Amino acid sequence: MSEPEIAPRKRFLAENPSALRFIGCLALFTLGVTVLSEGFGLAFLSTSMVKILGMTLCLCLIAVAMDVVWGYCGILSLGHFAFFGLGGYAIGMWLMYARTEGIVVQSLAAAPIPPTPTEIENAIATQIFGVVGSNELPFVWGFAHSLPLQLLLVLLVPGLLALIFGWLAFRSRVTGVYLSILTQAMTLALSLYLFQNDTGLRGNNGLSGLQNIPGLLHLSQSTLAIWFFWASALALGLGYLLFAWLVSGKFGSVIRAIRDNEARVRFLGYDVERYKLVIFTLTAVVSAIAGALYYPQAGIINPAEIAPIASIYLAVWVAIGGRGRLYGAVIGAAAVSLSSSWFTGGGAPSINLGFYTILWTDWWLVLLGLGFVAVTLFFPRGIGGLFDYLVRKP
Amino acid sequence: MNTRILLAVAATTTALSAAPALAQDCTVKVGVLHSLSGTMAISETTLKDTVLMLVEQQNAKGGLLGCPIEAVVVDPASDWPLFAEKARELLTVNEVDVIFGSWTSVSRKSALPVLEELNGLMFYPVQYEGEESSRNVFYTGAAPNQQAIPAVDYFLEELGVESFALLGTDYVYPRTTNNILDAYLKSKGVATEDIFVNYTPFGHSDWATIVADVVALGAGGKKVGVISTINGDANIGFYKELAAAGVSADDIPVVAFSVGEEELSGLDTTELVGHLAAWNYFQSADTEINAEFVKAWKAHAGENRVTNDPMEAHYIGFNMWVNAVTEAGTTDVDAVRQAMWGQEYPNLTGGTAVMLPNHHLTKPVLIGEIRADGQFDIISQTEEVAGDAWTDYLPDSAVLKSDWQELGCGMYNTETGTCVQMTSNY
Amino acid sequence: MCSPASLARLAVIVTILACTPALRPGVAIAQEGLQPLLQKYQAEIAKPSRTTVDRVLAALLRENRPGTSEFLRRWQDRGVYERPGDGFFFYAQEASGALHLIDIDSGVAVAEVTRREINQIRPNSGVRGVIAAALAPFELNAPEPARRQAALDAIARSGDADQIVPLADSIDHEPDAVLKRRKERLLVLLTAQFGTPQSARLTAISDLAGDISIEARSVLNQLTARQAGVAIALPEGANIARVLEVGEDISGTEAYDRLVGAGLAPPRQSATDRREVLAQHIVDGAVGGVPLHQLDTDAARTRAYEALEAAGTVPARAAENEVARTVAAHVFYETYVQPDPEVTAAAEDALATTTRTLGLYQTLDLVLDGLSLASIFFLAAIGLAITFGVMGVINMAHGEFIMMGAYTGYVVQIFIPDYTFSLIVALPLAFAVTFGAGVTMERLVIRHLYTRPLETLLATFGISIALQQLAKNVFGTQARPLTAPDWLSGALTLNDIVSISNIRVAIFVLSLIFLALLLFILKRTRLGLEMRAVTQNPGMAASMGINPNRINMLTFGLGSGIAGIAGVAIGLYAQVTSEMGANYIVQSFMTVVVGGVGNVWGTLAGASLIGFLQKGIEWFNPSNTLAAQTYMILFIIMFIQFRPKGIVALKGRAAGD
Repeated sequence: MSEPEIAPRKRFLAENPSALRFIGCLALFTLGVTVLSEGFGLAFLSTSMVKILGMTLCLCLIAVAMDVVWGYCGILSLGHFAFFGLGGYAIGMWLMYARTEGIVVQSLAAAPIPPTPTEIENAIATQIFGVVGSNELPFVWGFAHSLPLQLLLVLLVPGLLALIFGWLAFRSRVTGVYLSILTQAMTLALSLYLFQNDTGLRGNNGLSGLQNIPGLLHLSQSTLAIWFFWASALALGLGYLLFAWLVSGKFGSVIRAIRDNEARVRFLGYDVERYKLVIFTLTAVVSAIAGALYYPQAGIINPAEIAPIASIYLAVWVAIGGRGRLYGAVIGAAAVSLSSSWFTGGGAPSINLGFYTILWTDWWLVLLGLGFVAVTLFFPRGIGGLFDYLVRKP
Repeated sequence: MNTRILLAVAATTTALSAAPALAQDCTVKVGVLHSLSGTMAISETTLKDTVLMLVEQQNAKGGLLGCPIEAVVVDPASDWPLFAEKARELLTVNEVDVIFGSWTSVSRKSALPVLEELNGLMFYPVQYEGEESSRNVFYTGAAPNQQAIPAVDYFLEELGVESFALLGTDYVYPRTTNNILDAYLKSKGVATEDIFVNYTPFGHSDWATIVADVVALGAGGKKVGVISTINGDANIGFYKELAAAGVSADDIPVVAFSVGEEELSGLDTTELVGHLAAWNYFQSADTEINAEFVKAWKAHAGENRVTNDPMEAHYIGFNMWVNAVTEAGTTDVDAVRQAMWGQEYPNLTGGTAVMLPNHHLTKPVLIGEIRADGQFDIISQTEEVAGDAWTDYLPDSAVLKSDWQELGCGMYNTETGTCVQMTSNY
Repeated sequence: MCSPASLARLAVIVTILACTPALRPGVAIAQEGLQPLLQKYQAEIAKPSRTTVDRVLAALLRENRPGTSEFLRRWQDRGVYERPGDGFFFYAQEASGALHLIDIDSGVAVAEVTRREINQIRPNSGVRGVIAAALAPFELNAPEPARRQAALDAIARSGDADQIVPLADSIDHEPDAVLKRRKERLLVLLTAQFGTPQSARLTAISDLAGDISIEARSVLNQLTARQAGVAIALPEGANIARVLEVGEDISGTEAYDRLVGAGLAPPRQSATDRREVLAQHIVDGAVGGVPLHQLDTDAARTRAYEALEAAGTVPARAAENEVARTVAAHVFYETYVQPDPEVTAAAEDALATTTRTLGLYQTLDLVLDGLSLASIFFLAAIGLAITFGVMGVINMAHGEFIMMGAYTGYVVQIFIPDYTFSLIVALPLAFAVTFGAGVTMERLVIRHLYTRPLETLLATFGISIALQQLAKNVFGTQARPLTAPDWLSGALTLNDIVSISNIRVAIFVLSLIFLALLLFILKRTRLGLEMRAVTQNPGMAASMGINPNRINMLTFGLGSGIAGIAGVAIGLYAQVTSEMGANYIVQSFMTVVVGGVGNVWGTLAGASLIGFLQKGIEWFNPSNTLAAQTYMILFIIMFIQFRPKGIVALKGRAAGD
């Protein structure tokens, strides 16, 4: 890594045709969706479909991060969705605050005497927290008025949490299954914390109305949907390149070695804890960025999003897609989340067996659960492994 | 939007000219946005079935505007962001004329921005915390002044309760309701130390300490009463613990706002006889139309199924909508909204429900005592109470008013005389 | 205490006392029937309310026509019906779906009607309480013990001074020892509250010292109830409880608020008020010389207001020093509601004695609650202690095994209506069902993954969501009833403070049994030896002639089977839903990890730590259970950081690593 900047990058792309291929596919996909979307081209894809696809790209990004931390470094974290959610909360606070500020300022302008800053803040607090029975702005909202500060929080809050948590956990040599359970406990604690109304993030109601972007209220949702789709695609592309570059070099070799035999790497003189901490924190930050892009498209974030089960699902996507290969994670996340919404959204026709009709809303989860079992048992390399098989055959 | 209005107008004109013949060429679409899977399926599936039954009944009567009604059912799976997504899908892809849906407040808040953006129309059938009045939603469930306040009055006047325990699940409905009740009780001269508040998580099961705390309140020398906004499954553990501790309704009465016939079917009620629930409807209401409704429901869904308050809300909401569409001669949202104001329909419990310009209903408040068979003995029924979107007991919302008909605003500040906003707080 | 209602009741009771003999059966005096009198109060009787019932009772008891007390009893028990046509009242007898109406005065059946044709009168529990209290003095000597008991309950709920004499009189004739004790006790309570002469009352009060029952404390607390007051000087002759120091007992702000509340000082001007005043004095786009557009800061508004003050257009505000002066000029105090200082002093003394014992029992109760919660956690986690702790298999479907056990209990109850018998069947059946499920899962899935523990997590998670959805499809999303037999309902009560429900005691006992059983199996049986051998070194064990496949299968089955039994127990005290297992899974894993993997004692230690910790945190903040859970988990995370091997860490080679 001490070599000049440009040289490794050239080599990196040349040596990693799969990354290049992935970027190509992503670009093609983005172009295709843009042309077919309601906001721009042929209106073949509805706005809700564009939103779903945009959100799926964000999920793919966090899946890539998960793949790096688990597939490459061997840390089965059941807490990355917590970072994803924190990113969403951080951006959501600004979205809510700024939108409400617009409404409040406009409504107070009608008063005979111009409002003081305190009055504006109180009115905003009443609007946001009236629904949970409070009219004071909690201190965690201190930066909510400023987009740059809040964007900084998107990176800092999950980053610091991951750093502190990781430092504590890795330092105590908590590994394997225990680490998984510990990260799961962290996720549970965070979601329970956010569930409390006293936390100041609106408890179970969470932050909503996030699809209305302050300053862009004049734009239609179909336009915003495609903008966010682009942003998500861009983030996925960049994130993919970053991680592909990271795992391709010497750094990548070390973390793979940690996965395979941690003790041996430690005896070779590497500071294993530091490597793990870097990976854990970096993937947490990328997850947070994915979350910050996801929730303005979803429109609402609430503590249930962070519940431990979400993080387990994340691991399952990566497992189905195929660990240890970044495109596998993308495939897994896209395949499972899109087919879930297809099956439960009534897209799949129900099967009439004569004596019993299989409704997919009732049976999809059963199928999915058994699917996990089958993949773990019979295709440990996941769907991505299938690609390897096809590529190598000729 | 314009094209849709044109289409609707065109549809009605053709329908008027050759109504019976064209009956099969047009359909009126009704969206059903209730969770069929996940945690809320327990309550919401019943409501989906109710809407389907109502649609069936209406079609048997010849449909609407000469067209058959088609129900479009989607499953938001108790996943709050999905409510926004599915609402958008219903309005833009399926192009439904009206939506019946949502149970939890958070799911409503999730769908709200989409409804307001696309000018959709939704009927929300569940008792809720108030503090909202959207142009695009009709609230057919109770506002706090139609359930919580009368129940507290009953406690104060009829049972002589002087010390209150407000127990709730930790989410927005109990929080806001308890806030309102706290202010209300203080205005009635109840001291701060006589109000005990506790919040528990969803599905809470360890109730021993909390029940003991409530029993211990009795040492203050005042009659203790419990106001429960405990939600869903958690009630089962709570009532079991209450029964085990031998708390009789004569010593410490419990009035619940979220426990109905459906929830009681999950436990043995012999130990709970005499405890209370406040609703706008009970299955045991003794009227002709209710007997018919219960009969139709049992025929539709099964002999051992029960009816409950949100089902009545859908019953009233659906029929009002049908009448409003008939009156307006179109399913266009703006025209239907106009026709909805002042719309009247008989309650299943007697009396008449009127749709107010603040998009809430007038409803009678019923208080029932739990019977051993899981039904309720109605022991108090008020005249119809007008639903109040903004409570009078919290200073911030006391100045607010909703009137879509006269003021064209759901959040009108009467002090400054301005409309705070046309959209809602999400 | 002197509400109009109780005054009215006093009148009632005086009247009753005057005509007590007339109520005795057989001494009926020829009078008009009861019905005409009832018709006089038709509306109040048909729609009874606590606010009107006193008047009706007074009238009925004053006239005291034959059958009055019978009518009152029936009225209270919802045995009175109103005929809608003429408003007449009847008793009724159930007869094959219809009702035989019975005339109140003659007792003769007069007509047969359906339920729809007649209104049952349903007094609410407030009204029932008032009727019961009015009936109590006569019922004290009723022949049936149940009625006497009911009368005593009524007195306990709403006692008043006039019950003392009949209660005292009835004690001598009381044949039942339990009821007699109860009567004597109620007499003490009533005397402490209302008794005369003073000496008797003071004795009764001092009798209550150290009595931690809710009734006794309720009486004492009523006697020592206080009222806040404020005045220029302490009022003469009032029973002053204490004088409050401003700054120590109450803050200056609070003190001023009290003054405002008492109308002794003008209210403070809020920011909103000031804005409103300013808005009323806008002259030529400025207020007090300050241009409007500058009024968006507090400083500018203050300037504008001061200018108005100076001009004399608005009244002066209360300045800070003025507030302090007003507060200093007044004395803040608390008075007893009870005017007699001797009584309040005695009650305070008695209460002080009680408080000391009270603290002890409250701690004991907290410990019991903690113990109970710990045993629930232990029961939920003990199966996992075997599958995860001993075998090292992460079974995410463990919670679903708990659920399967609970549903087994529910299904058994459908077929066997007798709760005791069904429980006896359900426990082994639940074990069998989940044992079978566990063995099947081990054979089909887990044994292929022994070398890949993290993937077991995924596979079993898949099984978990499939099972959960399957349960939903089969049993519906509704919670299902699983009812405890009578001998398990109710509670084990030491006194009013310390009590624990029987079902929790049963869970505690059950978890002890499991602990003993498991220790026995692991340490004293061949199976246990083989289990430990296989988990420590499967290869070596196999070469010693142990079949590792069989042992793994049995071990896993055992752990799952225990989860099934735990499910029945948990279902008995909480809800049975398809998601009940998911509520326990994370906690169970934490219990095992905190306690120390591979050791049953560890799981016990983990469960105790978590249970007591949770209760302890709850005790600090009783109004927010959610916060307690959050902090408990945070504590566990920190705990594991500093003691990664758990409380009871294995040492040496068994620790693996």
